[in-house]
Amino acid sequence: MAKTEEKTVPPVTLVDPIELSELDRDFREEIHNMPNGEELGACFACSTCTAACPIANSWDYKPHQLIRMILLGMREKVLASDEIWLCLTCFECQERCPQNVRVTDILFDCKNLAAEEGRIPPNVAELGKELVEQGQLYVITADWEREDLGLEPSLPGLQTEGVQNMLKESRTGRLLEEED
Amino acid sequence: MPEYNLYAGCSVPANYPNYEASMLRVADSFDMELKYMEGVACCGSPNLRAIDYEGWLKVNARTLAIADKNGNDIVTPCNGCFGSLKDVYYHLKHNEDYVEMVNAELASEGLEFTGDAKPRHFVEALYTDIGIDRIKDSITNPLDGVGIAIHYGCHLLRPKDVTEFRPEILKDLVAVTGAEVVEYPLWKQCCGATVLPVDEPLAIRLARDKLKSMKEAGAQFATVVCPACGNQLDLQQLDLKNTYGEEYNIPILHYPQILGLAMGLSEDEIGLYLNRVPAEPILEHVSK
Ligand code: SF4
Ligand code: SF4
Repeated sequence: MAKTEEKTVPPVTLVDPIELSELDRDFREEIHNMPNGEELGACFACSTCTAACPIANSWDYKPHQLIRMILLGMREKVLASDEIWLCLTCFECQERCPQNVRVTDILFDCKNLAAEEGRIPPNVAELGKELVEQGQLYVITADWEREDLGLEPSLPGLQTEGVQNMLKESRTGRLLEEED
Repeated sequence: MPEYNLYAGCSVPANYPNYEASMLRVADSFDMELKYMEGVACCGSPNLRAIDYEGWLKVNARTLAIADKNGNDIVTPCNGCFGSLKDVYYHLKHNEDYVEMVNAELASEGLEFTGDAKPRHFVEALYTDIGIDRIKDSITNPLDGVGIAIHYGCHLLRPKDVTEFRPEILKDLVAVTGAEVVEYPLWKQCCGATVLPVDEPLAIRLARDKLKSMKEAGAQFATVVCPACGNQLDLQQLDLKNTYGEEYNIPILHYPQILGLAMGLSEDEIGLYLNRVPAEPILEHVSK
């Protein structure tokens, strides 16, 4: 076997030693009780999810580590991480998990908890505001393009008030208030 | 003559009227009656799910409840809408408390979620309800075996227990037009559209991986069944020219555009002129 290179630096560790007193014991329960968290505790840290993830190689915290961090109660680190927002929601991890942990869905839950604390990437918050203000993300501007194809210039049946009203009273609606 | 509730979403009507028009024309020739839903708007996309699960649940439950009024299945041409509606449908079917919560809210509009109307992707309804044999019989101008790569889109395929979509569906639907389905290594992978608002360079890199994989496998064209995926793979080819100095020149066609051509529709009827990467080269592969 070839001689491995002499190590001159200590191995890179992901996080500093975990300070037990800083752990939030309730975090695990919190996620467990969210819409998709039932199987959270079944994770046996095999890291299949990470192997399936197309972008985890550029992440500081990999999907299996995020799940582990949730189980340990590292609430602040998880909710403040960029990773939860960089997740493509492609469900590759979730699909491959041998323990049926709903990894993608759990990352959605984390985003919701972060959002509740006002931590939303600016462009995503912008999309939320647009949804409240216009009831849709894309508004028809080039009606002539539609007419040229024999379509109605505006979308038949479109009515945005219902969606707007629902969102006004929800967390998304509060995004607008926070601005004032 | 099967009748459906057409949920067009907002991206298709605003950005891809060529997808909408070709879908309607194809459906029409099979007597699939797609009726625009009254009183609906946006599904919120995964972005709404990320920041406001409850709001997302309610908005989509409302759409499902509107379809429940006549009980006809919902069809949509958009993976984002499909994913949202299917996911919410799944969760409502598995959680009584949610049903109670959304129905309490919907009552003020005289609506109720009953679960009678199922959300489906347009291509699945086409495949299942019309059937590949009837579609085959309608092909008058088959493609000449030209290589087409399929980009399914994440929210059509996964999570499998929620979407219940089998990849063979789209494969058969492309093959029946006479085209050759090009297998490529990254066929399952995300196009990067969802991460566009958070990290544009990452989104572009993902589109690049995808296009590269298609090209290397010999695809001349690619087909999509989602406006977000279509936008990402079509439009980003222009960005890739600037950021990476690479030209892929893979025209991205909405599936009903391909089927439409093979059924004898004209290029204007399927709005080929609106595709960003010029898609006219496909015409050379349609037998006259
Ligand atoms: S694949 Fe499942 S069990 Fe394995 S580490 Fe990931 S979440 Fe845990
Ligand atoms: S859903 Fe997110 S974490 Fe899972 S594989 Fe896709 S990008 Fe990675």
